[in-house]
Amino acid sequence: MTVIQTTALTKRYGSAQVPALDDLSIEVVDGVTGLVGANGAGKSTLIKILLGLLAPTSGSASVLGHDIEGSGEQIRRAVGYMPEHDCLPPDMRCIDFVVHMGRMSGLPPAPARERAADVLRHVGLAEERYRLMGGYSTGMKQRAKLAQALVHDPELVMLDEPTNGLDPAARDDMLALVHRIGHDFGIPVLVTSHLLGELERISDHVVVLDGGRLLRSEATRSFLADTGTVLVEVTGGGDAQQRMGEALAARGLSCRPHGGLIEIDPLTPGLPTGAGGTPEDGPGIGTPEDGPGIGTPEDGPGLGAGGRDGEAAAAAHDRLRDLVRDTAADLDLGLVRVQARTGRLEDVFRDEVPA
Amino acid sequence: MSAQDSASAGVIHDIGYRRYAGERTSRSGITRALLFSGVLAVFGFGRSGKAKVLPFALLGMTLVPAVIQVGIMSLIGLSADLLNYSAYNAGSSFLVVLFVAAQAPVLFSRDLRSGVISLYLARPLGATAFALTRWASLVLAILAFVLTPLLVLFIGGLAAGASLGEELPRVAVALAGAVLLAMLVATVASLVASWTLRRGLAIAGSIMVLLVGLGVTAGLQEVASTEGATGLAHWAALLSPFVLVDSVQVSLGDATSQFPAPADTVATGLLLLGTALALMVLGMVLLVRRYRSKGA
Repeated sequence: MTVIQTTALTKRYGSAQVPALDDLSIEVVDGVTGLVGANGAGKSTLIKILLGLLAPTSGSASVLGHDIEGSGEQIRRAVGYMPEHDCLPPDMRCIDFVVHMGRMSGLPPAPARERAADVLRHVGLAEERYRLMGGYSTGMKQRAKLAQALVHDPELVMLDEPTNGLDPAARDDMLALVHRIGHDFGIPVLVTSHLLGELERISDHVVVLDGGRLLRSEATRSFLADTGTVLVEVTGGGDAQQRMGEALAARGLSCRPHGGLIEIDPLTPGLPTGAGGTPEDGPGIGTPEDGPGIGTPEDGPGLGAGGRDGEAAAAAHDRLRDLVRDTAADLDLGLVRVQARTGRLEDVFRDEVPA
Repeated sequence: MSAQDSASAGVIHDIGYRRYAGERTSRSGITRALLFSGVLAVFGFGRSGKAKVLPFALLGMTLVPAVIQVGIMSLIGLSADLLNYSAYNAGSSFLVVLFVAAQAPVLFSRDLRSGVISLYLARPLGATAFALTRWASLVLAILAFVLTPLLVLFIGGLAAGASLGEELPRVAVALAGAVLLAMLVATVASLVASWTLRRGLAIAGSIMVLLVGLGVTAGLQEVASTEGATGLAHWAALLSPFVLVDSVQVSLGDATSQFPAPADTVATGLLLLGTALALMVLGMVLLVRRYRSKGA
């Protein structure tokens, strides 16, 4: 189900030349959606527009089927919002505050008290709920902020940097909680972060913003798919790693050092396996044939077309691994690791920002 | 939940997240909840224990003259003319100012300073309704503060033998004056408090505007009326809510004045009242604008 839809949304602050949001069209569906971007990419601006707190310069958007123009109140009734910055009065007890916020969202008194106790238990503040929030640690404050966003049983929650200022353990807890909200509680979540690694772990879908523009909007799986690149680590003499790398290059593989490992680019899928299909024949035969194959990548798409794409890729993958194994055997080195390198969300920025 | 789980005693089971399908209150219900929680917050309810000390200490102090007057009346048997309702709050203006100055930041600075405002604005009410409800909360709290001693005077006076028929119109004038005073003072204090986010500054600012304004106005009226500039003396009342309320009560309600130059005709009184209300509306517009800009 689509929970948020924006069409050519643009926001300019004052007479600023650079828009905070630039012609943004996105769609957010059920589950956990990560909104990624560097500071100033327009994440908070987008959330404020969606809540009806800011008017867009142009474009339109709807949240849960309500248009942001004219239906701000209905949207704010149905949405839970956790802001990025500190927003807790220090001289109130957490339970009183969450009850009050529940009432401000339209809960009658008795259900507000009941639900406040409930959500505080869910966020893990059951013990501390009678303390004044001025004495809370950052981790407890973040939990209290999350509780107030959930107290009225929203149909959608927007969490602005929920892991801000948390230590690694508290960060893990918070991420697990966000994941639980999206999947166990069944409430769609829009969560922003500038830490890509976090969203890799919890989100089903990632929207990447850069300078107010949409960079990419895809299922998290597709960001993290196997890239075909292989990481190899060998053990042997002092310069084993380097000898291995040179030998691989000599066989026509495109490879480079990557930390303590060797990163090998994938073989072009779809090439006739030829001698590579029988690795027992020895590397001597495999080398000359593989060499040109890599040098002419344009052969790839033509040959690997149709439904045989996946199959061909798998074959190329096997061939690459065989080559690595044979090279290591030839050099008499121990093969410690041959690892498929999966995509990282960081790659999105690396690949596409300069373009 | 498996049998194994339920077998282990003393474990609190996670019953999972429960959705809420029950009734939800309307917009007016939310406004009412905000209104009354605001009034209670002024008196320290729903906040820390020490937040209750100051408002109740001040309330106690403002009751002292009323209790003494009633006590003297019933013990010595003085006449009911001693009961001067309409002058009571001008007489204890220092305490009223302290109360308003100290407690207005609870409603206005606190939200803006701690950032709670962004949570309120992300909820159904919206900035305009929020600002006006906060203002109304302060008006009600001030009313509670200024009416309590009047009530003590009135009830105590009746118990000590004053006649209901004679006292009622005088009390009614004082009540109307108290309402006007509460609205004017609330507007001034809420503007000061919402612009100076620090509590100390807000307190100092409100005291400055209200108390010094009172002194200056009284002085100005004194000088102007001895110099013969009665018009100026009348209009100077606009500088201080206390003087203005006194002036309006005198001209429209036949009360006795505490200040040098109350308005002497009904027309002047009405004009003063109208101008004061217009200024108040202007102040509320400014307050709303302040909150609207905070939402962005």
